[in-house]
Amino acid sequence: MRLTGKRAFVTGGRQGIGRGIVDQFIAEGAKVITCGRGPAPDGLGAGWLSLDVSDAKAVGTAAQELGALDIVVNNAGVQVEKTVVDSTDADWDLVMGANAKGVFNVCRALIPHMRAGGSIINIGSISGNVADPSMALYNASKAFVHGLTRSIAVDHGPAVRCNAICPGWIETGMLDAGFDLANDPAQAKTDALARHAVRRFGKPADIAAMALWLASEESSFATGQLFTVDGGMTAASPLNPGLF
Amino acid sequence: MTLNGKVALVTGARGGIGRAIVARFLKEGVTVYAGDLTPQGSLAAHDDDGSHFVKLDVTQEADAIAAMDHVRTAHGKLDILVNAAGIEIEKTVEETSLEEWNQSFAVNSTGTFLTSKYALPLMREAAKSGNSASLINFGSYDGFIADPGLAAYCATKGAVHALTRAMACDHGPEGIRVNAICPGYIDTPMLQSFFEGDGSGGGGGNIETLQKAVRDVHPMRTYGTPTDIANLVNWLASDEARYASGQLWVLDGGLSAQVQQMKL
Repeated sequence: MRLTGKRAFVTGGRQGIGRGIVDQFIAEGAKVITCGRGPAPDGLGAGWLSLDVSDAKAVGTAAQELGALDIVVNNAGVQVEKTVVDSTDADWDLVMGANAKGVFNVCRALIPHMRAGGSIINIGSISGNVADPSMALYNASKAFVHGLTRSIAVDHGPAVRCNAICPGWIETGMLDAGFDLANDPAQAKTDALARHAVRRFGKPADIAAMALWLASEESSFATGQLFTVDGGMTAASPLNPGLF
Repeated sequence: MTLNGKVALVTGARGGIGRAIVARFLKEGVTVYAGDLTPQGSLAAHDDDGSHFVKLDVTQEADAIAAMDHVRTAHGKLDILVNAAGIEIEKTVEETSLEEWNQSFAVNSTGTFLTSKYALPLMREAAKSGNSASLINFGSYDGFIADPGLAAYCATKGAVHALTRAMACDHGPEGIRVNAICPGYIDTPMLQSFFEGDGSGGGGGNIETLQKAVRDVHPMRTYGTPTDIANLVNWLASDEARYASGQLWVLDGGLSAQVQQMKL
């Protein structure tokens, strides 16, 4: 039990990576509260706040309810699959509202309530470092997260540490939906797997394992950094001649 | 002619990228010393382009010393050094012999070190003119991300990147700028050899199909030419780049700006 006695707030814990982190933290003894738009999902072992992180006022109110925290995980995020030219103002508000402003809102409201030695963990993305095609606003929003991560580490250390995890392809509903859109879903999946040095996609538990380490005292010298967990995909060139 | 009156030495100057750099320098009014193992280099023939050929095996300290003595006697200074000599061994760590590993480092990393070591005193002399001298190394996008089956090459280029920053720190106060160019896929004899070898997946695949596939993965839908590299070398060598130092300049048609391109 590596998080016994710790209080954690995880945004976007309904499903996917966020749910994986919530479950892992609970298993390690933390008291966890998570949030999302709408009512609590079934079978959740954590406390639930109905909260849209892009709403600064609502986040401020939530901060009062949450009280003192040791761990904050900014996981809530959305993606819109469009280029710059195709993106609408509404797309900007949605993606930047949740992924960029949401992280800012939560950090601004909760840092003053964090106990000394606290750890903030932001979910960035490999797409914040290199571009996924037709994901312009998403890519940019994640680069914002990377920059804010370093700023918070610099400005608010030593009271809190702040790091980001950059996941690669993680098996969530989002990933399967992507393959379903391919011309040949089976071939697409085979090809995508071949581009991963570990020959599998990630699972929410893989990201939760890194989040646990960053939340624990074992990482007490780690701050301001981006930790990529992608099965080796971005270590390789995008041009992999063996695959042609 | 942005480089009129400057003196340059280029290593690997008779290879694919080296020749383009030499040709551009000559066009810009530079006195060029073209260092290579032979006047032919890695290409079929030597065209008498007006550069001064210097026999320079970059792995040999005596060759580096002799080349710089030659430049010192003629000009007393060196404004530009381009470390373009390089080799590539297409193997994994397990397949690479110690001899191949050492040879890769001898040319790509130690060669850069040796030539720079003996060029720096002449570059300090050049910087006394008030215009900074420019030392340009050749890294690679492979120094950041790996191509499969190129282990030693990737490692040598990572070493060049670190050496570039180290030299920029050490010699900036002396008026010497140090940068590295990190090419992606450039149409050279080295690339064609790659297409014919491991690039074909080891199975001797259709080279034209492979070349098209390679072009299509690039956001710019092409691989580069030696002239593209020479254009950046020219800028880094010029006084317009007087504030540019310690940087790794990736020139790859956008290849490494993207994640792996899934076939969706």
